[in-house]
Amino acid sequence: MIKIYDYILSVNCYKQRLMMSILDVPFESIPIDFYPGWEHKSEEFKKINPLGHIPVIDDDGFMLRDAHAILIYLASKYDPTGLWYPTNNPELIGETAQWMLFAEGTTNTASAARLHVNLGYEFDIEACRAGAHRLFRVLEEHLWFREQENLGWVCSGEQPTIADIAIFPDVILSEEGGVARIDYPALRRWTDRVKRIPGFVPMPGIFPVGDARPISHEGEANA
Amino acid sequence: MTESLMNLWHPIASAEDLPYRHIFQGQLLGRELAVWRADDDFVNVWENRCLHRGTRLSIGRSDGLELRCQYHGWRYANRSAGCTYIPAHPADAPARTICNRTFPSVERYGLIWSGEEPTGEPPEIAALENAETLLLRNIAVNAPLNLVLGHLANYRFSITGDPDNLATTSMDYQDGCSLSLTATCDGKKSTVVFFVQPVDSNRSVIRGVLSNSPEGAERLLTLRHHSAELSRLRDIVELEALDGPSLEPMVATIEQVPIALPEITTPSGRKAALRVQVLRKWATAEGVVGLELESIGEPLPTHQPGAHIDVHLPNGLVRQYSLTNAPGEGSLYRLGVKLEADSRGGSACLHETVKEGDVLAISEPRNNFPLRRDAVKTILIAGGIGVTPLLSMAQTLRNNKLDYELHYFAQTDGHLAFPEVLHELGEAVVLHLGLSPDETSQALTALLAGPQPAMHIYVCGPGPMLEATRRIASEADWPDEAIHFEYFKNTIEVDSSSSFEVSLARSALTLEVPSGKTILEVLRDNGIALMSSCEQGACGTCEVTVIEGEPEHQDVYLNDSEKLAGQRIMTCVSRAKSPRLVLDI
Repeated sequence: MIKIYDYILSVNCYKQRLMMSILDVPFESIPIDFYPGWEHKSEEFKKINPLGHIPVIDDDGFMLRDAHAILIYLASKYDPTGLWYPTNNPELIGETAQWMLFAEGTTNTASAARLHVNLGYEFDIEACRAGAHRLFRVLEEHLWFREQENLGWVCSGEQPTIADIAIFPDVILSEEGGVARIDYPALRRWTDRVKRIPGFVPMPGIFPVGDARPISHEGEANA
Repeated sequence: MTESLMNLWHPIASAEDLPYRHIFQGQLLGRELAVWRADDDFVNVWENRCLHRGTRLSIGRSDGLELRCQYHGWRYANRSAGCTYIPAHPADAPARTICNRTFPSVERYGLIWSGEEPTGEPPEIAALENAETLLLRNIAVNAPLNLVLGHLANYRFSITGDPDNLATTSMDYQDGCSLSLTATCDGKKSTVVFFVQPVDSNRSVIRGVLSNSPEGAERLLTLRHHSAELSRLRDIVELEALDGPSLEPMVATIEQVPIALPEITTPSGRKAALRVQVLRKWATAEGVVGLELESIGEPLPTHQPGAHIDVHLPNGLVRQYSLTNAPGEGSLYRLGVKLEADSRGGSACLHETVKEGDVLAISEPRNNFPLRRDAVKTILIAGGIGVTPLLSMAQTLRNNKLDYELHYFAQTDGHLAFPEVLHELGEAVVLHLGLSPDETSQALTALLAGPQPAMHIYVCGPGPMLEATRRIASEADWPDEAIHFEYFKNTIEVDSSSSFEVSLARSALTLEVPSGKTILEVLRDNGIALMSSCEQGACGTCEVTVIEGEPEHQDVYLNDSEKLAGQRIMTCVSRAKSPRLVLDI
C-alpha cells in the first residue's frame, strides 16, 4: 500500500489524498507534526526528504517527493482510463504541463499566504496576496472562456486532469490566507465542479457543495 | 451620491453566474450578498450572513428550496429567507422572527438587478429591448465608480472583434451608473451598454451588454476582444486609482433580528394578521378540495413542515388547516380540506361558498408539530385527510435527502389527496387502501414492530386511528418522545365543572377560574390575550408553563409523559386538580 508522509492541514498533501481518493487507491497516512513541531525540518525527516518538505510518498519502496510530481506518478500508474494525465494527446499533455507550472505559482502565492497566516511561516504576505490575485485574474478569464465553449476544466478536454487537482486546493483555501475570491465568479463555479467529481474528499476548511443537476432521462434537456 | 445610489437598481450578477445549486457571492455598496437561484427559478438576493454566527451563506449549500449554512446547519427557505430548521434544537420550531434580510431581484438583459432600497423598476434601455444581446465578460476593477465611468466614456472597440480595426465611437447617453456607446465602421453599427456596479467605495464591476450577438466564431472573437480591451482599461484605471485619495470602505448597516417575545396584546381573541386570495381551488380527491392561497401585498411568512394556519371563514367560523407544501416551495400556502359529514359549517363553507379569487383572512403559520431532521429514519403515518401536514414533511425530507416512508391509509384510490405530489414522492409512499379498523391495527402493529434508536414517527389522522397508534406504540415499547401526534380535534370529553385559582407569576395577579369557564377565557377577561388557535385542546398553541400546582389535563396535544411531568398546560381545556396553579405568565 502507498504510504504518504502527510499533514492534515497541508495543501500539497491534500492534493495527493484527493487524487488517490478519486482514483480509489488505498493509502496509509503517516502523520508528520508539521505545526507546531516542524517535524519535516528535523534531521530524522531530512533522511526521507533532504529538502525538508511534505508530501513524500513511498509506493512499495519507490520514494517520490514534490506534490505535482507525485500527481503525475499517481495518475500515470493508477488511472487506467489515462484521462487524468492524458499522455496520448500531445496538445492536452502540453496544456496539462503548462497548468501544472501555473499551480506552482498558486502554491507559492495563495498557499504561501495561508502558510504565513495559519502555520507560522515568514513570507512577504502582501507580495503573496498580490501575486495570487494576478494569477486568479488570469485563471478567471481563462475559465470564463472555457464555459463559453461549454467546457468546464482548466485544460481543453472534456474531462478534468491533474492540473485541476493541482490548482484547486490553492484556490479553495485562499481565503484563509486573506485572498478573497469574490471578484472571481467563474473560478468559484469551477470549484463547485471539482467538488462534484466522484470520489471527492474534503479537508478542514473545504466544504461539500450542493448536487449537480440530475441528468434528465426523458430525452429532453433539463435546461 | 451614496444616498442616490442606494435608491437605484444595480446589476449585481449575470444570469449565467447562477447555475444549478450554486451560491454566488456578490457585493453592492459595501454590503455582501449571497445570490442563488432556487429550483422554482426564483432568484434570492440575501444578506451574505447567517443570523446565527455571521458565517457567509455563500459558502453554504443549496438543496434547491432551502439554503443550509455550512457552520451549524441553520436552514433558510427560498423566497422569504425565514429560518426553517436549527439542528441544535431538532425538536423545536424556530421562531418566526428568525428571518434573513432579503433584497429585491429582477432579471433583465441577462443581468440580475437588485438594490438597497431601489425605487421603480430597473432601467429600460431602448437599444437592448427586443435585441439579440450578448453579455460581455464582467470585469472587476479596484477603482471608484466615477473613475471607471470616466474611462469607459472613452472606450473604443472593434465591431468585428479585430483589435487592429477599432471603430469610431460615439456616446449615446450617460445616466447614473450606465452609459451607451455606438461604434460605426464601414457602414456597420454596434452598440455596447455598460452598467458599472458600485461594489464598494474603491471597487466596481463593469458589466457590458452588446446590442447585437454575432454568430459562430465571431461571437467568441468579439467576447475575447472586449475582454482584452476592458482588461487594458482596468489596468489603466487601477493605476490612476492608486494615485487618487484613499477611500474608506463603505459600511453596510446590518439589521438586528427582533427577539421573539410572547405576544401580549389587547384581548381580541384569535388574530388574522394576513390577507390572502384563493389562487386555485380544485377537487383533489373524493370529498377533498385543494386550495392555493396567495398573499395580497407582502410575501407570506415562512412556514415549516407540520405548520398550520387559522382560516377565518366568511361565515365567522375559525378553522385550522395544515399547510401541505414544503417550505421554500412557492410564495403560497396549499391546503387540503375534507368535507366533513357532520360539518358545523367550516369545511362546508370552504367547499361550497369560497371560490377562486375570494379573499380570506388567515393567521400567520404556527408550528406545533415540528419535524426533526436528525432522525436516521422517519416514518410518516397518515389516516385520510391527516396526510396534509405529512405531505409537507415528506417533501422536506425528500429535498433534504433524508430516509423516510409515508404510509397513507385511505378508503380507495379516489380518496388519495394530492396524487400528483404522491407520484413525485415515488417509492417512499406506501398505500394502505380499504382496510377495516382491525386490518389497520394489524398494519400499524407491523409498522411499529421493534423500536429503533433515532427513528421518529409522525402520525396524523382520525382520533380512533391515533388512539390505536398510541396503544400499539406503547405496547411495542416506543419511547413517547419518538412518536409525534397531530389531532384534528380533541377526542376527550372536556369536564369544565371544577373551580380553582390561577396565580400569574410574572404578572403578579391571581384570578379565580369558575366552573364553566376556561383559563384562557378568564385570562382574556382580565386583559391578557394568550395566543390560541383550535381552542379545543388539539393544536398546542395556547400552551403555558406551570410553575406550581397539579394540572388536570384534558387535551390530546401533550403525550403521556409530558402530562405526567405536569410542567405544561393547554389553557383552552385543561384545568387544575390542586386548588391553585401558578403559571409562568
